[in-house]
Formats: sequence, structure tokens, C-alpha cells
Amino acid sequence: MSELKTMARTQLPKLDTLSMVTMGLLMALQLVISRFSVGNQFLKFSFTFLIVALLAKWFGPWWGMLTAALVDIVGTLMTGGPYFVGFTLSAIIGSLIYALFLYRKPVKWWRIIVAQLLIMVIVNIMLNSLWLVIMYHTPIWGILPVRLLKQAITTPIQIVLIYGLLKAPVIQTIEGRLHRTTSQS
Amino acid sequence: MSKFLFGRYLPLNSIVHRLDPRNKLLLSFCYIILVFLANNWLSYLILIAFTLGAIRASTIPLRIFVRGIRPLIWLILFTVALQLLFSPTGGHVYFHWTFINVTQYGVVNAGYIFIRFLLIITMSTLLTLSTQPLDIATGLASLMKPLRWVRVPVDTLAMMLSIALRFVPTLMDEAQKIMNAQRARGVDFGEGGLIKQAKALLPLMVPLFISAFNRAEDLSIAMEARGYQDSEHRSQYRILTWQRRDTVTWLIFALGLALILICRRW
Repeated sequence: MSELKTMARTQLPKLDTLSMVTMGLLMALQLVISRFSVGNQFLKFSFTFLIVALLAKWFGPWWGMLTAALVDIVGTLMTGGPYFVGFTLSAIIGSLIYALFLYRKPVKWWRIIVAQLLIMVIVNIMLNSLWLVIMYHTPIWGILPVRLLKQAITTPIQIVLIYGLLKAPVIQTIEGRLHRTTSQS
Repeated sequence: MSKFLFGRYLPLNSIVHRLDPRNKLLLSFCYIILVFLANNWLSYLILIAFTLGAIRASTIPLRIFVRGIRPLIWLILFTVALQLLFSPTGGHVYFHWTFINVTQYGVVNAGYIFIRFLLIITMSTLLTLSTQPLDIATGLASLMKPLRWVRVPVDTLAMMLSIALRFVPTLMDEAQKIMNAQRARGVDFGEGGLIKQAKALLPLMVPLFISAFNRAEDLSIAMEARGYQDSEHRSQYRILTWQRRDTVTWLIFALGLALILICRRW
């Protein structure tokens, strides 16, 4: 909660050009990655959460939420899928949860696990099911078991992948380069 | 690969294509509300008529829409089936077995939901097919302008968005190249179990990240060299204009809304 309070008080940090362009490219990467999915016809998931986590970790809750909303809107519109505001809200909340646990904090297993579990329960199980029910009148008890099962399988994979990504030497080098330029300007 | 994301736009020169993108975004957003308002067969009939009219005006062949619906067909069928099997009791019961009821109410509702799905998907497909991605971005940025009052950095976001859209095809090609290069070295994409498939994507993701970041560095330096300082305090080259045909679309929309509101009461 204290994190939420400090976040509300802080202004949107002024961006240097490199951070802005990096965010733009990460958004592009998210749109690209959403096209590659892993799995079979019964269970499919894509790796866009990696970019969401990365944006939240590097640029904080405000920019994380803004970019998450934008990518959700643009991504849906460009692929011709049906747009619904609820899913944008889900994307925003997911990004906020990542930022609260990862922004300016050391990468720890427990942080990633708690963040991912929160996202699983709040966003993927509660909110997204709610949107499906509102949008298509799908009976809740029909979809919930399927969604729960999917989340039970994907969440551990997501946790491991986020840890692996954030701990990867490459990512830490890039983070160092980003911060070096910000402190100079 | 870039076909998947951007090849959907069909460069025809119909009246729908020439509408202001802001207008099309607003219209398709309000159209969803219209679909939610419809609640009986007559109102759905009106909606179908309006949707077919819009498709006709766009001169896009109908089979392209059918192709757009195909990837969502499982979700649609799943929802319709659930609606059929687990509907609350009401009307004539056709079939009953423990907790499964197929009732008249269920059949009618499943039909409505099926139509609702089709209508929403068709309209959003129409938006994508008739509007260039860059126009969607410009339109979106312009529609977000009022958010300035709550201190959302709209100009910066618009800049990020146009950078993102510009680089999607580039990164898509890059991803394809890296995949082929890794395949040549023996990585199997999309083979084996879930964990194995996820692991195989690492040799794709990491180079993609580095390449994206290197591009970001180069681009930001080039932008600063050309006098870029911040996203505000700039002028605009791409200017959208609202024309008479845009106003006419709203008159048609208002007509549809009025008809549906009457049908609801009826």
C-alpha cells in the first residue's frame, strides 16, 4: 500500500529521448510477439507478459500502465478483434501489479511469484472472466474451470520465464545503458 | 509474417475507406454499445441490415470477413454451446439430463449471442480492413487529446505509438530472420512439450531484445541530431479533416439508434 501512496504522489517522470524510443520499440516488440504463441490447440499462450513486465520494471507504474493500455487498444484494433474496454483495464492493472513489485527493486523469486499470482487471480481469473460474461453472456461456471486450469499451467511457466529474463545478463546490460544516459542528462 | 498484422488493410477506394479515421474509431466503438442495446429479434434484424449496408458501402467482398471470423470460431462455438446446455429453465424444455437443460429460452439466447459475436467481429474487421494502421494511430492520438486535462502525456504517447507501428514490420522481419538462423543451427520451434517449446523461444527472444534496443539507441541519437527535444512544442504534418460524409455517417447511426430504442420498447 505504501508503494501505491508514493506512486500517487510522484509525477510522471520526464523522459529522455532514449527512454521514449526504447518504450516505443518495446511496444512494437509486444505487438510482434503477440503473433508467436506456444502450445497446441487446447492451450495457447504468448509471451507478451515478458514485455509488460520489462516496461513496468524499467519505466515504472505510470509509463507501464499507459503503454499497456495503448498496446491493448492498438493491438486489438489492428488484428480486427472485437474491442472491449474491460480488457484494456485488465492490461492496465496487470502492468500496475508488475510495477509495484518490480520497479526499482532487486529481482527476487518471491517478488515475481507474488506479482504473477496476484495477476493470475485478479486479472486473469476474476476480471477477464467478468468481461467475457458481460460481453458474450457466457455462463460463468462454464468458463471458469477451463480458465482456472489454463492459469494453473501457465502461471508457473510465466514466473520462471520472467525471472530468467530479468536475471539475464543481456537485459541487465541494457538496463545499465538506459540508466547511464538518464543520469547524465 | 508481417502479413498477419498489417496485411489486413485492403487498399480500395470506397466511401468507407475515405472516412475520417477518428470518425471510424468512434463509430465502431459506439456500434458495440448499439449491439449491447439490442434485445429482440427485430432489433438484431435492424443491426444486421445496417452492418450489411456498411459492408456493401466498403466494397470489400464478404468472404474476407468470413476469413476474419475463422480464428475466433472456437470461442464462438464454445460460448454458444455453453449457453445451450446450461441455460436457466424457461420456456419449453427440449432435453433434460441431470444438470443439462436444453430449453427454448436457451436456444433463442444462444442464437442472439451468436449473432452478437458475428456483428461485433464483422464491424471491427471492417475498421481494420478499411483503415491504414498509421491512420488508426493518428486518429487514436487525436481522440486522446482531451486526456491532456488529466495530465496524460498524449503527445509523447502518440510519438511512441508511431515509432512502435513503424518498427513492427522491421522487427517482424528480424524475428523471422533470427528464427531461420537458429533453425539452421538446429533449434526446433513449435516442437515438443510446452516447456520445451517455451525454452526454444529463448534463442529468439534474447537477440530480438538486443536488436530492438540497439535500434532504439541509434534512432534516439538520430532524432536528437535532427533537433528533437520533447514531444510537446511541435507542429503536425499529418492533419485529419472532418468532412460532410463523416457527419452523414452519424446521422445514419442516430437513425439506427432510434430504431433500436423503439424496438426495445415494442
